[in-house]
Amino acid sequence: MSTLFSAIDASASALDVQRARMEVAVSNLANAESTRGADGQPYRRREVVLESVPFDQQIGAAPTATGVKVAAVVEDQAAFRRRYEPSHPDADAEGYVAVPNVDVPEEMVDMLGAARAYQANLMAIGLIRDTIQRALELAK
Amino acid sequence: MGGEVRNDATIMAALGRQMTRAVQRQAVAAGNLANVDTPGYRTKEIQFADALDQELGTSAPAATNSRHFGAGAILAERPDPTDAKGLATRRDGNNVQMDRELLALNRAAADFSAAETVLAAKFRLVRYAINEGR
Repeated sequence: MSTLFSAIDASASALDVQRARMEVAVSNLANAESTRGADGQPYRRREVVLESVPFDQQIGAAPTATGVKVAAVVEDQAAFRRRYEPSHPDADAEGYVAVPNVDVPEEMVDMLGAARAYQANLMAIGLIRDTIQRALELAK
Repeated sequence: MGGEVRNDATIMAALGRQMTRAVQRQAVAAGNLANVDTPGYRTKEIQFADALDQELGTSAPAATNSRHFGAGAILAERPDPTDAKGLATRRDGNNVQMDRELLALNRAAADFSAAETVLAAKFRLVRYAINEGR
């Protein structure tokens, strides 16, 4: 039974991670045009770094599921895009504005990926729950 | 008569092992699915022979000696997951395929369900016998 619960834990950790990915993608999209951040620089695209976490390896009588966690949220160091817009208050002497290095289609694709993975893990939890339920039916 | 009882016990133990194995497969598939976006993660799997078939298909029903049962069907109780082979690796070093893992989860759930149904029927029969048919 503990194997099943570790499987649910793993799927739940994935739900957390996918939600974090979604949040990061949303904040990237929201700030796709933010030319001023806290440090006075344009917003930099953020990215989550994922890392797998084996559960209970020392106790495990049976193989337990491998979970996942967000190891870090890093800033994309790619160069800012430059757009000619002399009337913009943040434009430089040549009339160019540095705009965030966010690529909107890329963020949309990332969000879709996160949503699909979230769904798949939710489905996994449902299946594992069904299995636990079936196991309990033996006691009837 | 005694032989039949022993036979029952063998079948029930085999069904129990099938359920354990289904649970382990489910855990491994859930872990793979959780790591569908983890760079460098390799798909894990547990290799199981069709142990129930082996146990029941050949020796069990016709055995004349209790020690015949389970010969060759002794499986590691703690099989270690190994890296699955033959899967296409993506550029980030990850080779988890979502459909494969969902299929594994579903199949394991179905296996578990089937074994549970049969085991419940076996239990009912035993209870029937204990209650002297009442």
